[in-house]
Amino acid sequence: MHPIPRADRGAGGAGKSPHSSVEFVFDRSWVDELAERAARNGPWDDWTLFALAVEAERAKLVTSFDELQSLRCLPAFEPMPHQIATARKVLREMGGRAILADEVGLGKTIEAGLILKEYIVRGLVRRALILVPASLVLQWVRELNQKFGIPATAQKKAHTWHADFVVASIDTAKREPHRELLLSRDYDMLIVDEAHKLKNRKTSNYQFIQQLRKKYCLLLTATPVQNDMDELFNLITLLKPGQLGGQSEFVANFVADKRLPKNEDRLQEALSAVMIRNRRSDGGIAFTKRIVRNIEVKLSPEEKALYDAVTGFVRERYDESGRDLASMLSLVTLQREVCSSRDAVFVTLFNLFKKTAEDSPMRAKIWELVEFIRRIRANSKAEKALELIRETGDKTIVFTEYRATQEYLLQFLKQHGIHAVPYRGGMNRGKKDWMMDLFRGRAQVLVATEAGGEGINLQFCHHMINFDLPWNPMRVEQRIGRVHRLGQTNDVKIYNLYTTGTIEEHIVRLLHEKINLFEMVVGELDDILERLEREEQPLEQRLARLVLEAKGDADIRRGIDALGRSINRLRADAKRTASAGGPEAALPVLSVVPDGPDAAAEVRP
Amino acid sequence: MNAKQIHRFVERYLDATGCAILEKSPAHFKVKLSPAADRELTNRPYYWSFVDRTGVEPETMTLLLVTDPAKYDAMTAGAKAGGGGDGQAAQAGGSGPAADGRQAAQTGGSGPAAQAVPPGARPEAQAGGAGSPAGAPGAAEQAGMAALSRSFGFVPAGIGARVPRDDLYFGSRRLEQLFAAARRGGRFVCLFQQPDERALHPYDSLPCTPWLGVNVKVGFVCDMKREELHAFGVSLATGAVVEGFFDRLQGMKLTPRLPANVHVTGASLSLKKAADLIEQALMRKLKAYDYGWAAAANERLKEELAQLAHYYEPLVESAGEGEKESIAAQYEARKEEIRWQLAPRVVAEVVNAGLFHLTGLA
Repeated sequence: MHPIPRADRGAGGAGKSPHSSVEFVFDRSWVDELAERAARNGPWDDWTLFALAVEAERAKLVTSFDELQSLRCLPAFEPMPHQIATARKVLREMGGRAILADEVGLGKTIEAGLILKEYIVRGLVRRALILVPASLVLQWVRELNQKFGIPATAQKKAHTWHADFVVASIDTAKREPHRELLLSRDYDMLIVDEAHKLKNRKTSNYQFIQQLRKKYCLLLTATPVQNDMDELFNLITLLKPGQLGGQSEFVANFVADKRLPKNEDRLQEALSAVMIRNRRSDGGIAFTKRIVRNIEVKLSPEEKALYDAVTGFVRERYDESGRDLASMLSLVTLQREVCSSRDAVFVTLFNLFKKTAEDSPMRAKIWELVEFIRRIRANSKAEKALELIRETGDKTIVFTEYRATQEYLLQFLKQHGIHAVPYRGGMNRGKKDWMMDLFRGRAQVLVATEAGGEGINLQFCHHMINFDLPWNPMRVEQRIGRVHRLGQTNDVKIYNLYTTGTIEEHIVRLLHEKINLFEMVVGELDDILERLEREEQPLEQRLARLVLEAKGDADIRRGIDALGRSINRLRADAKRTASAGGPEAALPVLSVVPDGPDAAAEVRP
Repeated sequence: MNAKQIHRFVERYLDATGCAILEKSPAHFKVKLSPAADRELTNRPYYWSFVDRTGVEPETMTLLLVTDPAKYDAMTAGAKAGGGGDGQAAQAGGSGPAADGRQAAQTGGSGPAAQAVPPGARPEAQAGGAGSPAGAPGAAEQAGMAALSRSFGFVPAGIGARVPRDDLYFGSRRLEQLFAAARRGGRFVCLFQQPDERALHPYDSLPCTPWLGVNVKVGFVCDMKREELHAFGVSLATGAVVEGFFDRLQGMKLTPRLPANVHVTGASLSLKKAADLIEQALMRKLKAYDYGWAAAANERLKEELAQLAHYYEPLVESAGEGEKESIAAQYEARKEEIRWQLAPRVVAEVVNAGLFHLTGLA
C-alpha cells in the first residue's frame, strides 16, 4: 500500500542514490531466484523468449518525458488536434490532475481515454477506476476497448472490482459493501464523468470521491459552473485543495456576490492551471457543412383521400372528447402516420379497432378508413426515396418514426435490388453491432427508427433521408448527430421528404425556415427547447393542439409563424444572457450554462 | 514497431512455444496454439484447471493473428470477389473471418464451445473462403443444415469458421499480451556458446567462462517518466563488467546443452557479488546524468504541499472536536497522494537475467 513502490533492497544498494534529489531503488529480487535455479540446474527458460522479452521492452521503452507515447499505439483511430493538445497539457503542465470541461460534442471521453492510455503506456497507471452515470457504463467500456485497446471491465459482480480498469456507476460504488472495498485501495487514476453532479460537498457522492485515494484524477463536465461560486470552489477543492485558497480567502478574493465573481483575471489564471475548456468557436475544430434539401412529394389521389379521411376522423374525435388534448395524442399520431406509409396507419387503426367495444359506432368508421387504405396502390414517398438512393449511389441512412414504415421500406428496397438493413431501439447490443457491421460493409442503406441512445457512429456515411420528421426538434438533431459529428470528412447531405398539402409541409417549414434547426449547434437547441417548455407546453403538444384546432390551412400557417417567432425570441434571449450582461452571465470566461433542472444534461452525439 | 517487425516477433513467439501454424501469409497467421501458449494467451484459467484436475486431452484454441490489417482485408476481399458467384457457401465463408471473427472476439467467446469444431464444418468453410465452387459434399452439408434448421430453428452457417480475429498493431491488447507472455516465459536462461566446430581438433577441449547477463530497465519517475534499457554482463571469473552485453550475445550461436569439446572454468564470484558489481556500474553511470527534472519535481512537490497546508491547517484548527480527526486524516491522505504523484525517484527493474558460458570472452 505504500505509495512509492519499494522493490526488494539488498545489502548492496540500500540508502545509496546517484543524486541527492532522488530516491534510488535497485531491484534485487531476481538474484535469489537465479541462484536457486543455478543450484538445481534448472528449470531454464527458452532463449528465444528471453530475446523476445528484451525486444518487447525495447519497443515499449518510453524514451522521452514529453512526447506523447500513446499516439503510436492507436492506429485504430486518430484523435483531433485539440484532443491531443489537451492530453499533452494535462500530462506536462497539470501533472495528471485536471477538470476537462469541453463543450458538448468535442470528445471529452476521447481526451480522458488518451490521457489514461498515455499513463498506461508509460507504466505510471496500472489500476484505474472510472465512475460514470449508470447509463454510460457500457459505452465507456466499449470506447476504451475499441478505440484505445484498454482492457476496461464494466463492474457487475463483486469480483470485477479487482480488474485493473473498472468502469462503474458512482451510485453503486458509493454504497456498501462496494464503498469499503474501494476506499481500501489505491487507484493510480480516477476518472469521474458528469462531474458537475459533485458540486455540493454535503452529498454522499462528493464525500465518497473525496475519500478515494488516487494519484491522477480527471473530472469531466460540460458545464463546470452553474452560476454558483460555491459550486466552483467545491469542484476545484475535490481536485486540488487550496488551488483557490481557503474558503474564506476565496470568498474575499474572488466572490462579489453568490453568483458574481470579482478579480476575474486572477480567477481565470488560477482556474486555467486545473481546467481545460475547448469550444467550438475556438476554431481548429472543423465540422463539415450540412446541406439541407427539402423534397416535395405529391400524394396520389388515393393517398390524399386517405389523408383527408383520417384528418376528418381525428378532428371529429377531438370535438367529441371535449377538446381534451391528453387523450388525443395517439390520434394525432395517426394523422402523422398517414404521411409516412399506409402500413403505419393500418397498424394503428387495427389496434384502435381492437380496443373499441364491439357495438361501438366507431368500428364502422374505422372500417371505412381501412377501405381507403385498401385502395392505395403505391407509396409516393418510398418511390421518391428510392430515386434519391439510386441518385447518390452511396451509403445512405433513412430515418422513420414508425416501425411499420421501417418494415415496409426494407421490403420495398429489397424488391428493387437495394441491400438494406434495419436498426431499432429494441435490438440487443449484439444485433445492433451486427447491423452496423453490415451497413459498414455490404449494405447500402440503413433504415433506422431510433437515433437516440448510444453507440451509433456513422461517420462513414454522409447521406441522410428523413422519411418523416419527428415533431420534437431534439430528436431531429440526434438523427443528424449520428452522421454529422467529429470525424465526418464529407459535407453531410440531409434530405427531408414532405408531402404537400399535409401537416408535414408545415413542420418542415417550421423546423427549417423558421427556426433554422438544421444549422444550429447541439447545445443551443437544447437550451431553447427548455426555455420553451418552461414558458408553456412542450413543442410537440403545441403543434398537436394547433393541428387539431386550426380551421384551415391558412390558420395552421399563422400558428406556425407565431410559434417560429416565439422560438426565435427565446433564442435571442439565450444569446444575450450567454454573451454579456445579466446576472446569469456571471462568468463569461467559463461560458456559463443557464440554470434549470436539466440544463446540464448532456446529449451524447 | 512496424508491421514487419511485429510479424517477425509473432512468428518467433509461436515457433518458440511450439504452436502449429495452420495458415500464414505476410499479413497474418492462423494458428492452433500449443497448450503452453494457450495458458498464456487465452485467459481461460477455469478450463485449464479443469484439464489439470481431470487429465483430459486439452483442446487448445485457434487464433487468427493479423499483423497487417489493411493488407489482410485487401487479401480476403480479393478472395471474396473471386468466389462471389458461387452461392451461399462461398459467401458465408468469405465474410466469416472478418465479421464473425470480430464478433466472437468482442463477446470474448473463449469457452471450450467456441472452438469445439464439428469435423465437417471447417473444410466446408475454408473451401468457401478460397472461392472454390460448392461441390457435391457442400450440397450434402447444406441439406444436413437444412434438416437441422427444421428441427431446431435457425442454425448459423459455418460456425466452425469462427476463429477470433486479433489485429496486432503496436499497442493492441493481444500484442501487449504477447509481450507480457515473452517476458514471463523468458526470465532466466542458462546457455553455452557453440564453438566453431571446424576449427577444433577432435581431442581439444575449449575453456569457456561463465558470465552473468542482466537486462535492466531504468525508470526516471516523478509524475512523468522516462526509461532506459541497459544490458550488463559480468564475468564471474574476473569480475569485469561490460555494457551492451545483450547485443554481443545476439551475434553468437548459443545452446542450452554443454557442447562437445568445451569445458566450463570455475567461477570465482558469487551471483550476489556480481549483482553488486552491476549495481555499482549502473550507479556510476547514473551519477553523470542531469537531475534538473528531479529538482523541478521537488520544487513542485514543495509548492503543492504548501498549498495543501495553506488550505488544511486553518481548517483543522478551527474544526470542532468531532470533525478534527476526520479532517486531519483527509489532510494526511492528500499529502500522501501528492508525494505518490510527484516525488522523484529512479527505479531499476530487472527484465531478465541469465548465465552465459562463453568461449570468446574472458
